[in-house]
Amino acid sequence: MASETVPTTGRRRSVEGKPTFAVAFTALFLFVLYVPIVVVVLFSFNSKKSLSVFGGFSTRWYQDFFNDEGLLSSLRASLFISTVTMLCSIVLGTMLALALERVTSRPARITGTVALIPLVTPEIVTGVAALLFFTGLGMKLSLTTVIIAEITFSISYVAVIVRGRLSSMSDEVEEAARDLGCTPFQALRLVVLPTILPALIAAGLLIFALVFDDFILAFFTTGIDPQPLSVRIYSEIRMTISPAINAVGTCMLLVSVLLISLSLVVPRLLGRKDSSLDLISGG
Amino acid sequence: MSLQVEDALVDLAKEKRRSPTRTRLWNVLLAPPALWMLVFFISSVTIVVLLSFGHVGDTGKPVFGFSLDNYKALSDPVYLKVFIRSAVFAIATTAISLVLGYPVAYTIALHGGKYKNALIAFLVIPFFASYLIRMYAWSTLLADEGLINQLLRDTGLSSGIRFLNTPGAVIAGLVYGSIVFMVLPIYASLERMDTALIEAGKDLYHSPLQTFFAVTVPATRAGMLGGVLLVFLPALGDFVSAQLLGGPSTYMIGNLIQQQFFEGQNQPLGSALTVVLMLALLIFMVFYLRATQRVNREK
Amino acid sequence: MTDQISAATGASDVTSQTPAIELIGLTKKFGDTTVVDHLSLDIRRGEFFSLLGPSGCGKTTTLRMIAGFSDATEGRILLGGQDVTSVQPHKRNVNTVFQSYALFDHLDVEGNVGFGLKRKGLDKSEISRRVNDMLELVDLGGRKSAKPRELSGGQKQRVALARALVNRPEVLLLDEPLAALDLKLRHRMQVELKEIQREVGITFVFVTHDQDEALTLSDRIAIMNNGVIEQCGTPEDVYERPKTVFAAGFIGTSNLMTGTYSAGAVTVAPGLRVELPGHPELIDGSTASIAIRPEKIWIADFEPDMVRVHGTVAATVYHGATTQYLVNISPEIQLTVVEQNLVRSHHDDRWSDGDSVEIGWKPEHVVVIG
Repeated sequence: MASETVPTTGRRRSVEGKPTFAVAFTALFLFVLYVPIVVVVLFSFNSKKSLSVFGGFSTRWYQDFFNDEGLLSSLRASLFISTVTMLCSIVLGTMLALALERVTSRPARITGTVALIPLVTPEIVTGVAALLFFTGLGMKLSLTTVIIAEITFSISYVAVIVRGRLSSMSDEVEEAARDLGCTPFQALRLVVLPTILPALIAAGLLIFALVFDDFILAFFTTGIDPQPLSVRIYSEIRMTISPAINAVGTCMLLVSVLLISLSLVVPRLLGRKDSSLDLISGG
Repeated sequence: MSLQVEDALVDLAKEKRRSPTRTRLWNVLLAPPALWMLVFFISSVTIVVLLSFGHVGDTGKPVFGFSLDNYKALSDPVYLKVFIRSAVFAIATTAISLVLGYPVAYTIALHGGKYKNALIAFLVIPFFASYLIRMYAWSTLLADEGLINQLLRDTGLSSGIRFLNTPGAVIAGLVYGSIVFMVLPIYASLERMDTALIEAGKDLYHSPLQTFFAVTVPATRAGMLGGVLLVFLPALGDFVSAQLLGGPSTYMIGNLIQQQFFEGQNQPLGSALTVVLMLALLIFMVFYLRATQRVNREK
Repeated sequence: MTDQISAATGASDVTSQTPAIELIGLTKKFGDTTVVDHLSLDIRRGEFFSLLGPSGCGKTTTLRMIAGFSDATEGRILLGGQDVTSVQPHKRNVNTVFQSYALFDHLDVEGNVGFGLKRKGLDKSEISRRVNDMLELVDLGGRKSAKPRELSGGQKQRVALARALVNRPEVLLLDEPLAALDLKLRHRMQVELKEIQREVGITFVFVTHDQDEALTLSDRIAIMNNGVIEQCGTPEDVYERPKTVFAAGFIGTSNLMTGTYSAGAVTVAPGLRVELPGHPELIDGSTASIAIRPEKIWIADFEPDMVRVHGTVAATVYHGATTQYLVNISPEIQLTVVEQNLVRSHHDDRWSDGDSVEIGWKPEHVVVIG
């Protein structure tokens, strides 16, 4: 009996021993994940114009940023693009998600599925296609063209998130609304939409962050003045390396981290289980 | 005959009378997004395909046509080399992401305990930082005069290593860019997996490693496939990593496309390059869908 | 208000003969499968009516067609004499209690219960009064501002019931409303449901697969199988006098024997004739199926006019209040016998496996089917 127990515990030890290595690996992984970001933030406060030697704390690069009318107008452009895209794609994407959950006719289903293709298309393809479409129509590249391209990409994204939420909602909820005197549209407005509202808010914040940070689509579809912030940074990076870019980058990081954290927290604050994190990880 | 038609019409009328307006509502909802996608996505992709058979006119503007000249030009070894390099980079990126991402997903899913959600959030947040900024961050870190080389010199470990302009740097950038899309689906499939399977496996197989490969890996195949798709697709079409961390010797198909549209101004040729990229992805998708079908069937 | 009441009573006087619901040849097909097959049924006013059957028998589909969530392929639905076959759900004066409760997560209890009244455009004070009354009725007076996620399963159930009842529908439809509750709570809710129904006097149509629930609650039960009604009647009717083999087997346990009738007895196995007195309607040489409930078979202390058969105990199962014996009366036929444990005190003071026994039953407890 005793002789049998020994190898068993030995085996169990080796199983339990594994996490030490796995945990160390994961810790290292997360560390490396954050190194570049921390370095960007750190050197944005460098008093020297170096990205390898830290000369002391200073906010001079932020002052440069906030005094640079060109950069500021790019920032405003990016915020504008993100806001409009967010609003439009939430509306269109939610419509698509609702329809995809419910339409039964074959042509309608095919249309709906085709609308999700941008998700599996590299952005460069979408970018090239949008550029050719706009120039082909003789449209002048501007913030409008950027917004149209970003909406095209975002609709599918919103649709997938909202569909995930809808499919976890019992059909009976909508039927209950109909049962209690709602027309189909009233059921949608008074019950379905309020029920999925947290998912909509989370999706909206997510889209805002994605679009605000997006470079490739913006790069292909933007005009000259004003350019979105990411395109502006890209051309600066290619010319010079300076902590000023770190300062702009840090501001962008701040915006994204804020929005993503919000999108994770908002559904919880509203007391609903569905956070965009579950939606991202498919859990 | 006429009776049959009448019956059919009556049936049709009945059906119409009985079908509630909800079906109409859903079609009304479908129309605007579908129309949007038709106009701005489907038709613009069609333009790309059409223009790839065109040429640059005398005025320097792109002209539609029906010639295969652009594709013939792309069979030049110069381009073929870039195609192969893109494929190798994308495959390497996917493989490295899988090897690095799996243990992380595994550790968080099975040993994360109550910190699981916090760890996943911690993992996800950097990926919402601008891709461009993240690539830029690496380029400053890896530069000849960058922080890493500075540290190497200060500690006397090395007089400096050339990182930038190497394939390694570009692939590292690509891995860093999208590894989260490998971790998340694997994490989700591990979460769904019944841990009793692992316990049962421990009784059947001798070592934890054997258990891992005989039980855990097959059970999470769907998650891995999802991750492979999400990493491979953007990697194959990327041009930012090669632009900021590499150079002309590490250019990928995305860089060629970008050059044709912004520097070469040969839009038809750029379109042909885009079509080649789309075809490559289409072939990949066919294999991918077959693989997922097989996994689903096995379930 | 008084006018409304008198108007309502006046109307019900005129139509009191009209059933609350009439289903006429109701049929539902999904593609090639017929889920509900030419079903015709009248449900009376104020009745607690159950649709009972195994899953997939078409009971929920029938309910959904009455509510309007599912279109009838053929046939008609009349509510209080009016054809509503193609009327949309929100215009039908019926309300539903859903299996999943389907409460609105974004509204509190008050908002949920008052939802239907608000849609009808009643004024705020009236809504508030009726919601309060209804919440008192379902014993949820103190939880008005709770959100659904803060409620227990039983409380959600009550909110769902209140939300439907507060609209004073002609008919209340209940789709397995107690299925998600644990046994104890389910029994308590059964009692409450019956009380509430008596109090409000509204017609209840109750879908369930639980025979005990149906027997306990219902005024009448329709047993459904494969889209048709096997039998419709009072609980006593369907239990004591099953009309079909399915009905006999689905409700409770039945001992079924089939054989050829001749001269006052049925030959159920070679050489085994079971007496069947008092059935002049049976013709000699015809096939007859007979059913006897296990608790109607005696295993001792017979009365004079009983039909008796010899057998061997194959198994005994002790259930506390009762003991179940499986008795072989021929190599092919095994009967289940349930005995109240009135005299039993030790396991060896009654019969055990292998014992030869005589069993018997009163002729009037034998039901001839078909």
